[in-house]
Amino acid sequence: MTINTRKAVFAGLASAGVIALLAGCGQAPASSGDSEKAASDFLPCIVSDAGGFDDKSFNQSSYEGMVEAADKLGVDMKEVESDTEDDYAPNITSLVDQGCSLVATIGFALADATKAAAEENTDVDFVMLDDNSIELDNVKPIIYDTAQAAFLAGYAAADYSKTGVVGTFGGMQFPTVTIFMDGFADGVAYYNEQKGKDVKVVGWDVAGQTGSFTGGFEANDTAKQLATTLIGQDADVLLPVGGPIFLSAIEAIADSGKDIAMIGVDADLYETADSGNELFLTSILKQMKSGVFDVVTEAGKDNFDATPYVGTLENDGVGIAPFHDFEGKVNDTLQAELDEIKAGIVDGSIKVTSPSSPAAE
Amino acid sequence: MTSTTAEASVSASLETATIKSWKAPIAYAIFSLIAIILFVVNGRDGTSRFRLSSDADVIQLPAIDAPTRLTCVVVVVLLLAITAYATWLSSQAKRVPLWLTIIFAAAFMWAFLTWAAAGESIPVTGLLLGTVALSAPLIFGSLGGVISERVGVVNVAIEGQLLAGAFLSAFVASVTGNAWVGLVAAMVAGVLVSFLLAAFSIKYIVDQVIVGVVLNVLVAGLTSFLYSTVLTSNTPLFNSPPRFPRINIPILSEIPILGPVLFRQTVIIYFMYVAVIVVWWALFHTKWGLRLRAVGEHPQAADTVGIKVNATRFWNVALAGAIAGFGGAYFTLGSVGGFTKEMTAGAGFIALAAVIFGRWDPIRATLAALLFGFATNLQNVLGAIGSGVPSEFLLMLPYVVTIFAVAGLVGYVRGPAASGKPYIKA
Repeated sequence: MTINTRKAVFAGLASAGVIALLAGCGQAPASSGDSEKAASDFLPCIVSDAGGFDDKSFNQSSYEGMVEAADKLGVDMKEVESDTEDDYAPNITSLVDQGCSLVATIGFALADATKAAAEENTDVDFVMLDDNSIELDNVKPIIYDTAQAAFLAGYAAADYSKTGVVGTFGGMQFPTVTIFMDGFADGVAYYNEQKGKDVKVVGWDVAGQTGSFTGGFEANDTAKQLATTLIGQDADVLLPVGGPIFLSAIEAIADSGKDIAMIGVDADLYETADSGNELFLTSILKQMKSGVFDVVTEAGKDNFDATPYVGTLENDGVGIAPFHDFEGKVNDTLQAELDEIKAGIVDGSIKVTSPSSPAAE
Repeated sequence: MTSTTAEASVSASLETATIKSWKAPIAYAIFSLIAIILFVVNGRDGTSRFRLSSDADVIQLPAIDAPTRLTCVVVVVLLLAITAYATWLSSQAKRVPLWLTIIFAAAFMWAFLTWAAAGESIPVTGLLLGTVALSAPLIFGSLGGVISERVGVVNVAIEGQLLAGAFLSAFVASVTGNAWVGLVAAMVAGVLVSFLLAAFSIKYIVDQVIVGVVLNVLVAGLTSFLYSTVLTSNTPLFNSPPRFPRINIPILSEIPILGPVLFRQTVIIYFMYVAVIVVWWALFHTKWGLRLRAVGEHPQAADTVGIKVNATRFWNVALAGAIAGFGGAYFTLGSVGGFTKEMTAGAGFIALAAVIFGRWDPIRATLAALLFGFATNLQNVLGAIGSGVPSEFLLMLPYVVTIFAVAGLVGYVRGPAASGKPYIKA
């Protein structure tokens, strides 16, 4: 009986593995077609992480940047979506085998696979998004010091909050997630220091690097309950960090019946969200589309180098979105104060540090 | 009716035969030791505040302020007393009753919360409200699992049924603009997945565990594909379902603590209360239930007395799918609104664990699901109040609790005898 069950379980796992493998094989790269526009041999390629190119987040914006760059250069491109983390290495290899001259790997989860492929294929250039760990001549990292922008958002949130409590939660405790939370909490702390106030951050402790995480990037009930919990702690500004989990926060806010604002991440969610737009106080922008576009376009002109591209407030790689509907609700002086802080961060008089921050200098 | 009681007494005597052990006192002792190390040796000072009412309540209970260190010491003494009592019971070869375990667990949890919330406040209502919400899909899933396994078909496809229900309910409710139609669609989706499971495992005698695993992968792939190609192409039209509003039940919803938790919920949760009771009653007190269990325990005997074994299995597996699919609708129509890729995030597997943890009994499975929901929401609350426990550890908490519960409290369990075995008429 036990042996049968064990056999069955193993068989089940094996079949799941086979299916996953088949699904991976079935993921045919997009047809490159035999268009005539290929002006050079330059063939840029892109591989997503498990989120896929329709994640309304970094995969999607990087993909859009890649498409625009290919258009501008008048070359073909190839793309592969990864379904699971087991796909990363095979997908990169398959792109290299298809003759890609540049492979953009999206998301720090692909770092190990990218490093291995770059060491093996020194004639292919790699663009590594959100990871700065690889030091190879053919790998150009694109990284963002989002803590700087999150700092501004934290300051704005603290200024806006009426309850004196602001909250944040993340999908998983990854550096690309916590960097937002670090900057946000530091921005609140800076506000307290400047104004002599005592606005509290729930959901993230910078010193201890511990806080609230949903354990995944699904907009499900777990994320909603977590948002509800933060609302229960009197937070009236929420910063959900991690792809679609803000959707769950919108529902939690609706259920609470309270007047709660949100801060978006990556894109200006006031513009791009399908619902709940009016809840966004502002968004922390991370311009991955333009970053990928710039790097790929330059590479297409034979200007590839391995110096990291670091998005900062200074080069507008990161920033915060306008207040939109909240224009009339925030303090009149807030925008001016934020401009001043931004200038301070750019000239270095205000230091924004995060353990997850890329070493920009 | 007589046969039910006879069977019950047989199974009861089997259980007492296996449970005469020192397991409970040993488990208590280990947890008492943890409590001493954590709450007394590593104790914290300050006060822990328990908030019993939310702003919206008519009857406002005052918050309870407990001095952290004193409370912890008192509770630890209580834990030691319970351990001693359990040791005495075991030495007398008496069984340690379930209620003692519940009191022990509650006391331990109280001490833990007090310790974790030193200088902070714990929203008790919010903690319990989230527990019910997070348990809801697990409870529906485990009810589906109980029915399916009781009739003799191992249901590993609960995850797929939940996900299919979530997907189709979101889609149909968006297009029709009617959440009730979406609810029906969720059941249809669950039934469709069940049809596949039933057809392969009953008619074609494929290994049921394998079919279940494959179905999960199939549904995950199919819904992700349709989400990317169809739902995202026009989100307002295809993926903006109306959600069921919360309905406050008059009077009951004003009971302090329990009212907001149990009686300010959506229709889906009210259906859940009914479903748990109906499934339990029907399974153990009706002709349908008796036949179902007979088919799952001893199909030859059932066949001999004229029960159509494979037909019974087929339709009850379909019913199980309908219930699990209904639970899938909770994700979309009850909680979040729109569908997103793989939004069930493994809830079906936890429901499967709850089935076994609950010993194939609807009520016990429900309690198991509630335990998991509580642990999940506890980590939410602990993360939010800044207890300083590392996030990765907090995320492990629900699973650790489940493993301890299954290993420590359940141990050896005996499932329906013919579960997982296809019936081939000789």
